[in-house]
Amino acid sequence: MPCNMELPRTPEELIAQDIASWKELLSDSTKWHSIPLLNHTPLHKLKDQGLVRFRGMVQDMMDPEIYLERYEVKLGDGSARLQPGKYRDCLRLGKDEQLDYNAENNVHGERRTLFVVSVPGLNDWAKEHEKQCNPQFDQLPSVGSGVKRALDDQEDMEVDKADESNAISLAKKQCVSAERQTETNGCSSTVLGPDYLINSPLPSRPSMACMVKVYEDFDKYTLNSLMDFVGFLSVDPALDASTLDVEAMKDVESLAELQAQNPSPFLIPRLHAFAVKSLCHANPLLDESLQQPPAVEALHAPQSLETIHKDLRMLLKLCLFDDELAAEYLLCHLISTVYSRSEMQSIGKFTLNICNLPKECLQQYTTKLYEVLELLLPASHYLPMTLETMNTSAFTPKKDYETNKLVSGLLQLAPHTHLVLDETRMQQGKLEANGVHAVQHLANLINNQQLKCDFQYYQIDYNVDIPVLVLSEGRSMLPSDFVLPLKADEKSIQIWEESLKAALHYLQPGRLQQFRNYLTMSRIGQFSVSEEHTEMIQQEFVDMRKANVKSNADDLHCLLVLSRLLGIARGHVTLDKETWHLATEFESKRRQRLQALPKSSASMRN
Amino acid sequence: MARRDYAQDRESIKTFLSEFCKTDDDGKKDFVYGSQLVKLAHREQVLITIDLDDLAEFNESLAEAVIENCRRYVSIFSDVIAELLPSYKQQEVHAKDALDVYIEHRLMMDARTRNPMEQRDERNTFPAELMKRFEVGFKPLSTEKALSIREVKAQQIGKLVTVRGIVTRCTEVKPMMVVATYTCDRCGAETYQPVNSLSFIPVQECPSDDCRVNKAGGRLYLQTRGSKFVKFQELKMQEHSDQVPVGHIPRSMTVLCRGEVTRMAQPGDHVLISGVFLPMVRTGFAQMIQGLLSETFLQAHRIICINKNDDITDKDCELTPAELEELAQDDFYERLATSLAPEIYGHLDVKKALLLLLVGGVDKRPDGMKIRGNINICLMGDPGVAKSQLLGYISRLAIRSQYTTGRGSSGVGLTAAVMKDPLTGEMTLEGGALVLADQGVCCIDEFDKMADTDRTAIHEVMEQQTISIAKAGIMTTLNARVSILAAANPAFGRYNPRRTVEQNIQLPAALLSRFDLLWLIQDKPDRDNDLRLAKHITYVHSHSRQPPSRVKSLDMHLMRRYINLCKRKNPTIPDELTDYIVGAYVELRREARNQKDMTFTSARNLLGILRLSTALARLRLSDRVEKDDVAEALRLLEMSKDSLNQIHEHQKGHVPNTSDRIFAIVRELAGSGKAVKIADIMDRCTTKGFKPDQVDKCIDDYEELNVWQVNMGRTKITFI
Repeated sequence: MPCNMELPRTPEELIAQDIASWKELLSDSTKWHSIPLLNHTPLHKLKDQGLVRFRGMVQDMMDPEIYLERYEVKLGDGSARLQPGKYRDCLRLGKDEQLDYNAENNVHGERRTLFVVSVPGLNDWAKEHEKQCNPQFDQLPSVGSGVKRALDDQEDMEVDKADESNAISLAKKQCVSAERQTETNGCSSTVLGPDYLINSPLPSRPSMACMVKVYEDFDKYTLNSLMDFVGFLSVDPALDASTLDVEAMKDVESLAELQAQNPSPFLIPRLHAFAVKSLCHANPLLDESLQQPPAVEALHAPQSLETIHKDLRMLLKLCLFDDELAAEYLLCHLISTVYSRSEMQSIGKFTLNICNLPKECLQQYTTKLYEVLELLLPASHYLPMTLETMNTSAFTPKKDYETNKLVSGLLQLAPHTHLVLDETRMQQGKLEANGVHAVQHLANLINNQQLKCDFQYYQIDYNVDIPVLVLSEGRSMLPSDFVLPLKADEKSIQIWEESLKAALHYLQPGRLQQFRNYLTMSRIGQFSVSEEHTEMIQQEFVDMRKANVKSNADDLHCLLVLSRLLGIARGHVTLDKETWHLATEFESKRRQRLQALPKSSASMRN
Repeated sequence: MARRDYAQDRESIKTFLSEFCKTDDDGKKDFVYGSQLVKLAHREQVLITIDLDDLAEFNESLAEAVIENCRRYVSIFSDVIAELLPSYKQQEVHAKDALDVYIEHRLMMDARTRNPMEQRDERNTFPAELMKRFEVGFKPLSTEKALSIREVKAQQIGKLVTVRGIVTRCTEVKPMMVVATYTCDRCGAETYQPVNSLSFIPVQECPSDDCRVNKAGGRLYLQTRGSKFVKFQELKMQEHSDQVPVGHIPRSMTVLCRGEVTRMAQPGDHVLISGVFLPMVRTGFAQMIQGLLSETFLQAHRIICINKNDDITDKDCELTPAELEELAQDDFYERLATSLAPEIYGHLDVKKALLLLLVGGVDKRPDGMKIRGNINICLMGDPGVAKSQLLGYISRLAIRSQYTTGRGSSGVGLTAAVMKDPLTGEMTLEGGALVLADQGVCCIDEFDKMADTDRTAIHEVMEQQTISIAKAGIMTTLNARVSILAAANPAFGRYNPRRTVEQNIQLPAALLSRFDLLWLIQDKPDRDNDLRLAKHITYVHSHSRQPPSRVKSLDMHLMRRYINLCKRKNPTIPDELTDYIVGAYVELRREARNQKDMTFTSARNLLGILRLSTALARLRLSDRVEKDDVAEALRLLEMSKDSLNQIHEHQKGHVPNTSDRIFAIVRELAGSGKAVKIADIMDRCTTKGFKPDQVDKCIDDYEELNVWQVNMGRTKITFI
């Protein structure tokens, strides 16, 4: 395979050759990088049927489609030709040409549509960085081999030669007129709002949506996984069902479904994918599928893991009122991931509840702390647990049978998206049915790392990996693996605002990159426990049981997870004795603090 | 594949319909289809269902051809039937509806005016569809497996498939035109147009000779009276949750129902639908944008609601011989028990009891009295001993189950509530957890925190297995044949061994005695156990999977099917066991009197023993209860009592070891005599929850101490 081969420009070019050769071509990362990212490129700069990339989370999967992979077209003069239909939405018919539905040469194929949204809760810095990684074809016209230039030069496209901007404005007009029409008709309910169609899990931080059509490996795609798709963009205005004449379609029962399944392509573009990479994390800094801008490379001054670890711990300590123990636990939380699952357990989860926050600074502290975390993590979400959000927001996805869509909820997040729950925002009041369910869903998420999707007639659990951090004044009402009462230093309480400002100041771009990389690397790092240490741990557990009847299997789980994370944070790949002892020591310290907490009447009873 | 000779098939179908018969028990021949044809001819029946089992018996290749190319054979069958029908007419048929009258008139008129020599335009003759007043449906082979929607792929197009799923949406039943009849405004001739698809283009110009020759340009008008309509309904069905692979979204499928198969299912019904999988030709917008796409649908032939009809079970519920063999190993009882919630370590006896709860005992109705077979179990224990996990697992494993907490959040609660329908204003009953779990398991967590109203209702449920409601003018009794699995926390945080059970759980004795077994799950430090637990956990953590050394646990699907199989057995207790059971019960009562027991022993225990032993026999797939079953039931009962009493002994600081306790039993058995049969000792000891090897050890120990002597055959011991 010659390396200087160009990427396919049209679906027909793609089909002309073996798909494997294209995939091989794309395994060359420079080729992969050169494809424009749909996430960060305005649609009007892209051409219909051009090659694009889209990164995002699989939010919904639709029913399979049976399409014509190859079809016979009858020409006006009676002759016929074959036309491939793969990677396309529309028929390619010239004037006086007709599709022959009954031709023997027609081949049917199957494809699936995935509803993909850009990573929900992706933090601003990560978005910004992704954008920088997008090939800047407009500013760099000198790059001769740029794909976009090639696309511009492309001689003909039989389908739609009309200028795209024209097409867009036309479609917009149609949209507007359709809306107006429905408004006057007073049946606006049949036209679905863009928010509903895009269906972003976090309504306050809207995602971008794309309908990706895949042609192979159907079982590879699972809900909520992160993917990077390469394929052909399809934004033919004919794909829009919302511009339909509502009056004429009144008697069609499934109008809502039709409209939901065929939204305006300018709102939700279609992408016919032929190559996919699944992403194991959302950190753009470490993503090989992104072309790192040179500026970033320079910042990667190698520094030893220990120093980074120490610095990061220092920083967290500064943010946590000088509490060393809390800093350790928070760091463990930040690198935690579910690494193993069996029937009912998910091992490795590290739900942390930092309670006993000083009353003096409750008002702003939590948001300020989140600001720091936001800078460190590629994706996270801050959820103030006010009565209003609990009672009104949708937490879990729910199937809407009217439109056959899985309507997303707050908790439908990509793996490793940190959820920060601020319980200090909770007031006294009545938790309504929705609120009660919300608490149950949160508890289910924390205990099992599973998300219950409501299909009305039954519920299905989906495995997720969402680390949860709960900030509360007293013990949280939600369950958690580790409850850590903060031991605030008197002095640091007074200067907390200054400390956080200092922390933000401390986070210079270079240092930030290091921290971000360190956190992601630690999360996906490997770790093992040797035979000999296993025995030591077993022995210690037996002794622990002797000493304290109340300690149980959960404690051992916690200790193992903690020691693992402490080890990983320190750059180890196997467990050693010191780390294990550190873990036991931390746990006993934490227990002491817990005992010192004033007991409420509720906890006395249980 | 060679083309089939359809003419020949027609002939064989004709023979099949007229000659196929079954011989019933009395040796009489029953012409299954012949008799149906008579009914069709008399318009007493509309739908004729051809059982492919019958067809396969008659001609196997024909049955296969029907499955492969179903739609064509539907029309062949209906043509053949239409041909046959007149000969089956035994009396004059009265017109049933307007269309009958219409057809009759046209036929009479036709016969009067028609010149036999004249060739008429095909479109002016009566189409066969108009005359046919019956429908043909196929019943798939009984060996046919029900597919999930996911498994129906493009290659099944045109074939007869059976799909299992849940109905999510259904449209109203509408009339659909099958034959459009037009009249010409000039010549008055009638034109017919058969409609096969979802839409049609009306004919405009009159094709009759009069109009054509005269160039009159007569326009056609559609007339409703002469057109034929069928009932039509569109359903949406979705995969059931157990058919969805991990991390995927359930699929859905459109089902079109015509004629008699409409109104068979409602949203929420679990259904088995057999039908032909076909591509759909859509018009309008759908065609415009989806020229490339073709939608598919299932043309329903037969719809069965599974939830309404428990007899019809799925074909994939049957166990394969290989699976049966795997289950039939010696230790299957232990293996099944350990496979319950494999993550939860130990508690084997509790798991055994839960297994029996899932299988259930046999219901009995002697002389109108109803004795329940369902087993109720209450788990008690300190917080954090995995009670809730056990409950959660059972509710997932059981085929029908409800998981609820004592403090149910909805207004419906456990029993039932009367609701006012917002649309019609009618009062309707809405079942609570206990009603919904009818014939299943109701898992109630936090049983002790239950509302008082529910608590009173549960008395009735647990013994009579019904719920009586007298609310808002509605008085009714609902079935609630449930096994109750309850979990309760002790009232004072931890279980206090110095108090009785009622005091600890704060539930009345009347309620507690309705539980067949009460377990106190405790978590006491014990070196060996702890070490094994620690080993287990560290293994899971370092290898990211369950340790392999343990007995391979059975997967839930297999368990579910096995339990289903067990439930079909109805074992009986043979007479010779009665004495044994009575003896054991008397013994229990006596002990309860003598010792300061923290539990109760009442007649309900006797019933409990019977239930447990029948459940054990079911588990062995046997039709007879054996002595071992009763012994195991007694052992479980004893262990459950022990779990409540043992802390008591522990607190006293006197813990007799097993050997001592067995010795005490032997002493008791011996009474004044000197010799005791070992078989008797075994019997007695196993009912008390000792294992045979423990008894053997005791016998050996005491023999060494020269307390007794064992004879050569090891059948008898004699005290010295």
